[in-house]
Amino acid sequence: MKPLCILALGGLLTLPAQAENGVDLTMTSRLIGEFHQIRPDSPFAAGLARTGFGRDNGRFEEEVRGKLGSVSVLLTGSFSGQEGQNPKTRLVANEAFIDFGSGADRFTIGKKILSGDVGYAFRPIDVVQREARMQLIPKALEGIPNLMWEHYSGQQAWSLIIANPDRNRGPEPNKDGSLTLRYFNRIGVTDLHGVARYSSRYRLEAGAAFSSVPESSLEIHGSFLVQQRGERTVPIRLPANANPILLLARSADDPNIMISESLKNPAKALLGATWTTDNGWSVLAETWWDGTAPKPADWQNLVRQTQIRNAMLGMPGIPAEGVNGALALSTRMFQNPSSTRRGNLLRVSWTDPAGSGWSTALDVLQRPQGGGWIATLSAAWVADKLRIEGGYRRYGGSANSVYRLLPEHQVIFAGISLAF
Amino acid sequence: MFNRKTALFLAALLVSATSFAADVKTLLKQADEFRLNLESARVDTEVRVFKGETLDKTRLYSVFIKPERRSLVVFRSAVERGQKMLMLGDDFWLVMPSSARPLRITPMQKLLGDASTGDVATLTWSGDYDGKIVGEEKVGDIVCYKLDIVGQRKGVSYPRIVLYVAKNGSFPVKAELYVASDKLAKMAEFKLGNVDGRKLVTTMTLTDHLQKDRRTEVHYLSRSAKTLSDEYYNPAFLVRAEIDN
Repeated sequence: MKPLCILALGGLLTLPAQAENGVDLTMTSRLIGEFHQIRPDSPFAAGLARTGFGRDNGRFEEEVRGKLGSVSVLLTGSFSGQEGQNPKTRLVANEAFIDFGSGADRFTIGKKILSGDVGYAFRPIDVVQREARMQLIPKALEGIPNLMWEHYSGQQAWSLIIANPDRNRGPEPNKDGSLTLRYFNRIGVTDLHGVARYSSRYRLEAGAAFSSVPESSLEIHGSFLVQQRGERTVPIRLPANANPILLLARSADDPNIMISESLKNPAKALLGATWTTDNGWSVLAETWWDGTAPKPADWQNLVRQTQIRNAMLGMPGIPAEGVNGALALSTRMFQNPSSTRRGNLLRVSWTDPAGSGWSTALDVLQRPQGGGWIATLSAAWVADKLRIEGGYRRYGGSANSVYRLLPEHQVIFAGISLAF
Repeated sequence: MFNRKTALFLAALLVSATSFAADVKTLLKQADEFRLNLESARVDTEVRVFKGETLDKTRLYSVFIKPERRSLVVFRSAVERGQKMLMLGDDFWLVMPSSARPLRITPMQKLLGDASTGDVATLTWSGDYDGKIVGEEKVGDIVCYKLDIVGQRKGVSYPRIVLYVAKNGSFPVKAELYVASDKLAKMAEFKLGNVDGRKLVTTMTLTDHLQKDRRTEVHYLSRSAKTLSDEYYNPAFLVRAEIDN
């Protein structure tokens, strides 16, 4: 029945694109599959059954985008399944907001996507939306409940955003209550962006970014952020002579395996450039620093603890539950927004300039100082209403590098979408 | 230094060169009048892409044009819903629905995509190009001036155009569009129709020079006087929903 509900959402809302009654909606049906292969020699192998690593998954989505009178909406109904788990049905209002006002002063009330910043792989000043980057075929972003006042003056603009006004701290940083001031100015061939945000989690965050097109083929960009407070997820620190029993999980969500570490005044920075040719080739290069990412010592600590846990497996008196649970919990290290502090991306892409609808890209993300690499090859074809895309991602690096520790080895992904 | 004959000859050359340049500018302005006869306007456009004789895809755009080379393109097709492109002189921004942030793009990136939005958003030559008349040529039955014009700004979609303008009537007939590497990219043919009692270009047909079986028809569905306030042409405004109306 549940998948039928999703189809019904689409069916009910399949209205004429330009209806007389102020309803102007378009619909997109999307089917996506990801086929994950686990790394057979993963040191976390004993705990992986409790995680999502290595599980094939798929989802069917119906997306409705447009206007219902003065309300702008983006609604998504999804029916998703993951290998070994029961399918889930979810209806989400990704966006539901009203933009209003006239002249230089404009206002927004509701839930709206509020992305920011200028980079591709890393976005230091995207402090409101905090969009996850480098995903395979990402779901539609979920907007931020907000009240916003925007003021426009010539080529400048600033906005004052009260985000998540109903709460102080949420489960994720973008669900925290916050007050943000954003600034934009266009000076010749350069855009300048500024941001200052206050939240109880990070206190004050302030940064700036630029994007410039000095000549017809070249775009350069950069971004910088300083936080009064930051945090990252790292393994618990124990003295070398501590009892190894302390490394076992006592519950499925034992808070003593991975801890959230508070950081004072961390900084993030990005520099990048895009070069495009008239025959459809484009090269994007970016390099960045994320002071909130785990340090090499944190990864070495994880490796050491994982070795101890694996050594305890099967020992008399050691509960397998405790070892497996701890191995599963310790994979949360990979959920940090950046896995290491330095990152480099090279993306070479091609779009058929003749308009056949074909495009392809090769992304290589490299993490210096033993982080390893991720290579992603993808292709897409867009027809009249149809979009087909797919690709292959592989993780690699030297032994004990971050991406060799990642329990997955490779992923094949494919998606097909139809817009009405 | 110079004798009188040489001085007269140089003066004649100067006068001739000046009037020649003026002729090109006048011809371009006259040709523009057949494409856009309003200062500030909304132009609704349908783009049909053909592979051979088969219709491959259709795209709809609303273009809001304002003086000082300002154009706002709102993508109306279901598959592109939520995309917008802003052109301010030589500067360009794109908003994709998946990200909802204005992204500065290069003039070269503007050329990529399903149907080049540069072809849809730009409706005049006179402010952007200058050049010379290189001769006269017959296109079908129409005797044309052959103009070799070069972009005067870095943001133009095609740095060089060979344009054929009817000798009688000054309407555009045909254009050869060259990209930055001076390669011929597309051929454009202009079809005129009667719109509210005026002769205007109703269809521009673009043929890809490399893939000759690929043809793009740009149909100008309507042109109406419309002046959006200046805020709409601020890149930060692109993510606001007022534009979608």
